[in-house]
Amino acid sequence: MKFLTVIIALFVIASCCDKKSCAISSGQSPDAAAESTAPALSVETSVIRINTTLQRWSAAQPWDKSPPKKRRALGALLSGNRVLTTAEMATDVTYIELENADSTRTLPAKVVAIDYEANLALLEPDNGDTEGFFKGLKPLTLGGPAKIGDEVDVWQLEDNGMPLVTQATIQSVDIVSSFAEGHYFLTYEAKGSMQSATSSFTLPVIRNGKLLGLLTSYSSKDQIIDVMAPEIIAAFLADTADNEYAGFPSLGIAISSTVDPNFRAWLKLSDDVGGLYVTRIRKNSAAEKAGIEKGDVIIKIDDQDIGRRGYYSDANYGRIFWSHLIRGTHKVGDTIKLTVLRKGEEKQITATLARPGKRLIASHTFDQAPRYLVKGGFIFQELTATYLKAFGTDWESKAPLNLLDVISSPEDYEEGRNKLVFLSATIPTPATTGYERLRNFIINQVNGQPIADIPSLIKAFQTPGPDGLHTIEFAHGPPKTIFLDATASDFVDSELLKRGIPALSRE
Amino acid sequence: MIKPSSLIRPPIHAALALLAPLTTASAQQNNPLAPLAPLAPRTTALAQGNYGSIVRIEAATQVPNYKEPWKAGRFSGGIGTGFLIGSNRFLTNAHVVSNARRLLITVHGSPRKHPAKIIHIAHDCDLALLEVDDFTPFLGLKPLQIGSVPKLESQVRVIGYPVGGDRISVTRGVVSRIDFSSYSHSRSDQHLVVQIDAAINPGNSGGPVIQNDKVIGVAFQGLRSADNTGYMIPTPVVNRFLKDIEDGHYDQYVDLGIASFPMFNPAMRKKFGLGQNSPGVLVASVTPDGPCDGVLENNDILTAINGNAVDAAGNILIDGEKVNMNEIVERKFSGDTIQLSIIREGKALTRSCTLKPFPPSRMYAAQYDVKPRYTTFAGLVFQPLDRNLYAAHSFTNTRVRRLFAHYVDEAIFKERQDIVILTRVLADPVNTHINSHVGTAVESINGEKVTSLEQAHALLHPEQAPEFFIIKCEGIERPIVIPGNKAAEASQRTQTNYGIANPSHLTK
Repeated sequence: MKFLTVIIALFVIASCCDKKSCAISSGQSPDAAAESTAPALSVETSVIRINTTLQRWSAAQPWDKSPPKKRRALGALLSGNRVLTTAEMATDVTYIELENADSTRTLPAKVVAIDYEANLALLEPDNGDTEGFFKGLKPLTLGGPAKIGDEVDVWQLEDNGMPLVTQATIQSVDIVSSFAEGHYFLTYEAKGSMQSATSSFTLPVIRNGKLLGLLTSYSSKDQIIDVMAPEIIAAFLADTADNEYAGFPSLGIAISSTVDPNFRAWLKLSDDVGGLYVTRIRKNSAAEKAGIEKGDVIIKIDDQDIGRRGYYSDANYGRIFWSHLIRGTHKVGDTIKLTVLRKGEEKQITATLARPGKRLIASHTFDQAPRYLVKGGFIFQELTATYLKAFGTDWESKAPLNLLDVISSPEDYEEGRNKLVFLSATIPTPATTGYERLRNFIINQVNGQPIADIPSLIKAFQTPGPDGLHTIEFAHGPPKTIFLDATASDFVDSELLKRGIPALSRE
Repeated sequence: MIKPSSLIRPPIHAALALLAPLTTASAQQNNPLAPLAPLAPRTTALAQGNYGSIVRIEAATQVPNYKEPWKAGRFSGGIGTGFLIGSNRFLTNAHVVSNARRLLITVHGSPRKHPAKIIHIAHDCDLALLEVDDFTPFLGLKPLQIGSVPKLESQVRVIGYPVGGDRISVTRGVVSRIDFSSYSHSRSDQHLVVQIDAAINPGNSGGPVIQNDKVIGVAFQGLRSADNTGYMIPTPVVNRFLKDIEDGHYDQYVDLGIASFPMFNPAMRKKFGLGQNSPGVLVASVTPDGPCDGVLENNDILTAINGNAVDAAGNILIDGEKVNMNEIVERKFSGDTIQLSIIREGKALTRSCTLKPFPPSRMYAAQYDVKPRYTTFAGLVFQPLDRNLYAAHSFTNTRVRRLFAHYVDEAIFKERQDIVILTRVLADPVNTHINSHVGTAVESINGEKVTSLEQAHALLHPEQAPEFFIIKCEGIERPIVIPGNKAAEASQRTQTNYGIANPSHLTK
């Protein structure tokens, strides 16, 4: 479902499918091997084992958590007793524990900062014998960017605490989405043959005795290691320095390539420019505020020529997708210069980069407990991508069509709504007799009040009609309107509490 | 009854399997023979001579190709059963003879094959009437009599030519259920159905179900996921078909065009002022332009049809059996008028409604015996959306799925006679970079909204080509651009390269 990807991934359309196209084969740092690793540090003293317990919320019964899962990974020790790992390891966690290399000490930890989009998390001790744990350990320092052809070491720990170092060679650089879908960040792709060991996840990658990045994935088939680039880690760490974590900036556009010569002729693009065709501008985005319009063709960002497929020539890495210029080289509040062609005329536009604005359906809802209301047996929730994905791997065909439509055309539903409230299921109760099969209906109004989110739904249910009935109006139906007895549903609610539903709502 | 949005509900007919055409090779493999117990002596014998009235129908078919509509389609065939109901009138299932190019009828015990043809075919109730070119050899045969709806638990026999051999086969069972259910041949219709537990297998289709020497149903479908469930078309449906064609033309079923919602909930009953035992079901939606548009409104309580009380579940009592209220309408014909008793805002009213077929709902019915419509342009293939196209392409685009699901209830048919889909791009230098548009609905061509295939074809083939053809697809901002001066050449080239004999077929 291409269209959906466009919405969620406002940034990258048709980017990483041709990953290998930006691999550069020659002319890069022939002396990479010569300046190879001179480890001043050892694996055992700079790598921390991380054990976490993750627990997600149940999509069907939003008051429940799903069964807990355990994960083990490694993290890189940084100064100030902080440990760097991926967001994937620290999302929806109920417990985090640090463990030293030889497994003689453990220490509870907590998340200092987490970025789901860039897939990074910073941990620090949470009580316990911090001094004893970190005694004798040596923090890593973050190194500078690598080049294609550079040799790197991937650090692992054996079960017995022995170091395991694998050499790999950086073969290409691309932007990759490693955790939150549709968010692409600069990533090195290195070739090396890894072996499995305990906690073989989020492994520190070292170059010249310094931390280069974290391994986010390894393909045993291709022997390709994905390593998050140091620029992204540096930006993340800099952002965590003050106590307010801002996150990576965004422009807020969706684009299409201008490779098709017929399309170029229609756009009146000359052969000496590349260009990205803007297909969509997100509401309240940096792009909207800067005055970028649908149909504009972006030909330059910060004086970098943008090619027909959206790549520019990076001084260090070669051909890199344009979104790195926004997300990887700037922070929130920075301004960028754009050159666009509008109806054949060149225009200069300055945009102040910002975080993406609030959306009807957020691109991700990690660490957020779903908001819900149980009323008389009806379960109301706010629609999230997580809810739809709970329909399984083929959720794009399995999930209810009316809800999928909200994800693919949110603008049709935004009017008067912060979030989209829907009836997710009906528990058979005396109050819901005859309604048992109603589910996945979008709510327009309750008791005459428009429903913008769960809090407004809770409020609307506080004032039933003079006849003692609640009136629930759906967006589609049939039936379009149903009624619920206020007294009966209050009684049912109290019974449901007695039967183990811990709370009737979460706001 | 027509089920417009059957696609978005869990469709029961997904599991229903039509019994024929039986393609002999595969059916043999799928049905390994099991040892059979010796047959008990027949107690109520159908007169021996009457087996001759139950004939084997051999169909050679040509199934249209909706993926590559310019192709001739697949040549195939199957076996079914039929039976004589009058002078040169053989009744069988529509699905036995759908898309047939040649039909041959064989009488039990005779090697002779008699060429036959369809006189009437009703895809919405899966029945067809055939005649042979020369009836003389059949003159001695006695037509079977048509009986009534059998009682639950009463014994029936199924006679036909199912898989497992060439000779006639008889199975026996009891009536398990009488229900209003899906007819899987059209994929969108529901009528009265009788479930029996006699073994019904591929090839039985179109064969008679006999009780007391009378036909009480036509065997037509089974349930894949269950054992011993066969379904037959009961006589009210058969009789309606025979009556409908009396004027020489089959007019199709008529439908109320409403969705009802049961009035079980006490709060709902209180709101509408219904006592504990008062009749009535909620009118939850009225199909735009349907027979009840302007007659019924949302939130009316329908209490009776033609004086028969409608209960809270939407059922009525006919011949001592509670059946779906649509059963009253089911027995009516186009142009008939029915009386609807309703409660609107607390007031009892009576409204009359003239029944008529509702063509837009055929969007959801499988089509047979028609050539797929399409047009091509510069290697792009355009086809109108319907059930056949949907089944062939299994579209994933949310907008296309939505247009299909709500074509009737959101009255999309009023503006768009066809939903034109770009189904394929045949690679050519002029269209190399177009791929994400495949499987989406065409919104406009050169700025004009696309409302039918014919109109799209006209817009793509103007007398004077524009500088650019601009084709905008729904949900995709970036349009397809084909230079006007290259289009004709590209059309010609793709037709030659891809073997497209006819660049378009537009008529219905």
